[in-house]
Amino acid sequence: MSWTRSARAVLAFTLLVLLHYTIRPFLGWRTPVDFLVIAVLLSAVRVRPGAAALIGFCTGLVADSLTPSAFGAGALAMTAVGASASWLKAVFFADNVVLHGFFFFVGKWAFDIVYVTAERRMHGVELATQMLLWSPLSAAATAVAGVVLLLMLRPVLEPQAA
Amino acid sequence: MARAVRSGTRVDTVLLVACCVMALLATVLPLNLREAIAGGLRRTVVAPLVSLQEQAVRGRSAFLSRDATTSRLDSVALRNMQLAKLETENERLRALLGLGRELQWGFVSAEALRIADIGEEHSRTLTVGSRVGVEPKTPVVAPEGLVGMVRTVDPNSSIAILWSHSDFAASAMSADRSAYGIVYPHLSEAGRDAEIPPERYLLEMRGVAFRSALKPGTLIVTSGLGGVYPAGIPIGTVLGELRTSEGWARTYLVRPAVRPPDVSNVIVLLPKRIQGQSLDRVWRSTMSADSAARHIAAAGDSIARRAAADSMRAVEAAAARRAADSVGGQTRPGGTRSPEADTTRRTQGRADTTRPAVRRPDAPRPGAQP
Repeated sequence: MSWTRSARAVLAFTLLVLLHYTIRPFLGWRTPVDFLVIAVLLSAVRVRPGAAALIGFCTGLVADSLTPSAFGAGALAMTAVGASASWLKAVFFADNVVLHGFFFFVGKWAFDIVYVTAERRMHGVELATQMLLWSPLSAAATAVAGVVLLLMLRPVLEPQAA
Repeated sequence: MARAVRSGTRVDTVLLVACCVMALLATVLPLNLREAIAGGLRRTVVAPLVSLQEQAVRGRSAFLSRDATTSRLDSVALRNMQLAKLETENERLRALLGLGRELQWGFVSAEALRIADIGEEHSRTLTVGSRVGVEPKTPVVAPEGLVGMVRTVDPNSSIAILWSHSDFAASAMSADRSAYGIVYPHLSEAGRDAEIPPERYLLEMRGVAFRSALKPGTLIVTSGLGGVYPAGIPIGTVLGELRTSEGWARTYLVRPAVRPPDVSNVIVLLPKRIQGQSLDRVWRSTMSADSAARHIAAAGDSIARRAAADSMRAVEAAAARRAADSVGGQTRPGGTRSPEADTTRRTQGRADTTRPAVRRPDAPRPGAQP
């Protein structure tokens, strides 16, 4: 990966992190869009699985710093999602919008499952409701937002050769 | 090549395992340790993001509370607008209280309600009637002066015509009794004389003897002739002379003391009060009492401040003297107070009695007969 592409990827990643801490709290939805997951997924397909795991771990740790009671759960979930996405990068290379949306959906849902499990705060019906209702809804919102952002950021992430 | 790939894979695996282990460790750390690490991150790396998040949350709450804030602002603005009206009404009621205190007896206070019918804008419905002694042709007055006259009376209400009514007429004179005439409403909307501005609500004083020239600003009061209005009720002030075809009498344009739109609370003078009695002292003392009350209210605070300063000085002087006495071993027999202390107390008493002096007595309620 050239220096220019790396810089563009970092720029996109930073932009998504900023969106996560501005748009998301401003909207205040019950099923929020997770821009951090989108950022990690988009970064993970451009690096090796180890680096993707490290990016996911750091991003998760940053997110966890605002929720000390679940400290480490986000880092674990992001590590898992990042590494998995990096290993499955062949799928992401397919230039298909629906496929991208599906993997954003799966990535966010997987993140939520790992997060809720590692957090060990919910039990029984509440856990099931979270995993089977709110998490898929949030994953769907994230997938839609991810696809829209991917289309918008395409000139940045994949510049055409002159 | 194959070795390089294997090496890369191994590094990836190591990194992944290390990250997972660190994340798992983080989940099982003691709470205070987790809080310490999270706090450290919040204060350093995450600080800008925390600030962004706070601003976003604040923006959201501001956006959500926008409608409520707007409606609250609207209601405050509305109340503020009503406040000026209430202040004016309060002033009028205070003035009415002052007039009632000066009249002392033989009157009833009433609300003057506007009659909505077309052509009745120069009449008012009063909330008092024959049950409290109101009769036809009894005068209606306000703190500023003459309002009009009761025309019809029911047991609990009555209808009065204002001075702007075409049927109104009152025998009048200048306050120094140098000129007499009859006051009618000035029915023309525009002044006939170019020097006198056109105005909707004005009066004319007709039939003034040619030798009696009145200067602008001269106070016109009721003369008491005719028996309807007692003498001394202010009607208005002279604006200027009207040019008429009559060569033996003058006509003056008079600015009324009471503006019809301002008529809301009035006093109805009962027949026993107006029989042959002049009321000019009532309005004179009402005006002077009102201005005196304002002066006292303004001066009250400064008197109180001065009295407090005097008492402080006296207390300090007394303390200094007591200290000097104790040093000299001299004590006053019987514990008598020094003259300065008495003076201080007297001064304080004066300051205390200054404020109640500006208070007005309780208002007579509408319809209540004193």
